[in-house]
Amino acid sequence: MGVTVLLPYQIPEGKTGAQAIDYLTKRLLALGAIHTGQFLVDCETYISTPQHGPAKTVHVLHDSEYPASTFSILDNGAGKQIPLVADNLFDLLMLKMTSVYTSKKQTKIESKGARFEYGDFLIKLGSVTMMENFKGILIEIEYRPCVVLSYCWEMIRETLQGFLGMPIAKEYPAYFSQQIMNTMGQQQIHTKQNEVYEPIDTINQYLESFTNYRKQNVLPVAGGATGGASSAQNAAANMQGGNQRMR
Amino acid sequence: MEKLNSTLGAVRSLRSSVRQCFEQLADGTNAELAEDSRTKFLLKFQENFNNMNAQLREVESLINGLQAPQTPYCLGQTTYLAQETAPERQALYSQLVNSYKWIDKVHDHSFLAFNNLNQNNLRRSYVYCSQKRVRIPFTSCNNFDPDHTDKLLSEINLPLTSYQVCRPFGSNVVVIVTISRVLKAAIVCKGVLIEWVTVKGFDETLDPDDLWAESRYEVFRKVQEHTHIAMLHFFSPTLPDLAIKSYMTWLHSYSKLFLEACKRCGKFVSNGLPPTWRDLRTLEPFHEECRNC
Repeated sequence: MGVTVLLPYQIPEGKTGAQAIDYLTKRLLALGAIHTGQFLVDCETYISTPQHGPAKTVHVLHDSEYPASTFSILDNGAGKQIPLVADNLFDLLMLKMTSVYTSKKQTKIESKGARFEYGDFLIKLGSVTMMENFKGILIEIEYRPCVVLSYCWEMIRETLQGFLGMPIAKEYPAYFSQQIMNTMGQQQIHTKQNEVYEPIDTINQYLESFTNYRKQNVLPVAGGATGGASSAQNAAANMQGGNQRMR
Repeated sequence: MEKLNSTLGAVRSLRSSVRQCFEQLADGTNAELAEDSRTKFLLKFQENFNNMNAQLREVESLINGLQAPQTPYCLGQTTYLAQETAPERQALYSQLVNSYKWIDKVHDHSFLAFNNLNQNNLRRSYVYCSQKRVRIPFTSCNNFDPDHTDKLLSEINLPLTSYQVCRPFGSNVVVIVTISRVLKAAIVCKGVLIEWVTVKGFDETLDPDDLWAESRYEVFRKVQEHTHIAMLHFFSPTLPDLAIKSYMTWLHSYSKLFLEACKRCGKFVSNGLPPTWRDLRTLEPFHEECRNC
């Protein structure tokens, strides 16, 4: 178990999601990475019924890297998140609690794709889908021997630049630079990049990205605005179609 | 020691006179011989008997004069020979004592010879020999007493590093070194000589009972190879303390294993690995491939 960085990949103009994944896969294999199977991270969200006070949300996540665990994060609506790591039986417990927590089926979101190993690096190219709709690409990179991000961020950055072919900012990713509250409610000087990394940090990063993708889904419908990964992809598909017809 | 020696001598002479007396008794007298030879035999026996008594008293008085030694004799590593269960190896102790005596004698003789030869001004070689140099080879570095090893290890104190000393194999030390939050290393010593090093990741378990299992990460397997190279490089039987201190300083340079770029190519990652080699003198980081070019 080592430090993991999750990075949403901006699909280049004029490419579909599948093409972008293909392109990245080719670059990874050329770099010397070895394809080692598939992975899947999924997230389901449950909302408490109104008769039980203010609305609370429970996000239940599974990660194929930790097949025996179910991760859940309880959001009390006031900005406080309580993580819980349990056995797989937790899923059955959630089924029993339908009177308190109801599942929002239409928001079930997952990221799945190929898993690569490059030395001690673990690289996963995940395509995010919600209700069978493609939403974007999430790149997960893990450096397994190291447990503190600030020690190995430069290594991770260099590897990422190596196969993405684009510059990555020198600063730590946003998730790691947030301040940690200690038990007294005071902000600590230490930020997350200097802490020992835990599997729940990976899950938190996934949840953050998934939440962003869900918001993207709401925005175009509400405001009718174009933009976001899905519309860009549609445009790209149209262009491609046009190209084919021309040939 | 002298008293003990004289007591042992007295016991020996007592045994010989007892033997003499019984031999004489066993021989007996010739039945046909005259009366005076019988009295002669009796007188001889009485003389022997008195002799024996006197010697017995002497032995007793000598034994009373003996004192128990204040401190038990330090037998060093040889005490573990008593725990040997294989019958063919139980005779090792007497062989050991013999060879010890032999070495002692060699040392004495060589010392005398050295003194004699030193008086001779005609030198055949230019090798400088002094009184001091005689003693150095006599300190064998794989047979230090445990206190010395403890003291030596407690003197090593590098930042961000913790040392845990344990002795799973008798008096020999295994030091578990945790460097920053980067790696753990188990250093198996014989006396103060390093015999083996195992390197593992910070999140892996390093059990003193299983020191031969390799790390699951490629980078630490590579680092372990390099620690073995350094182990041979820093080996110095004449100055074992300095050797172990320099080795620890070198090993400590791995606290920035993932943080430093290679000095030659300026990159962090090469073939999926960080710069795993540290220069033995300057402690600068290099990739394995960059190190020799």
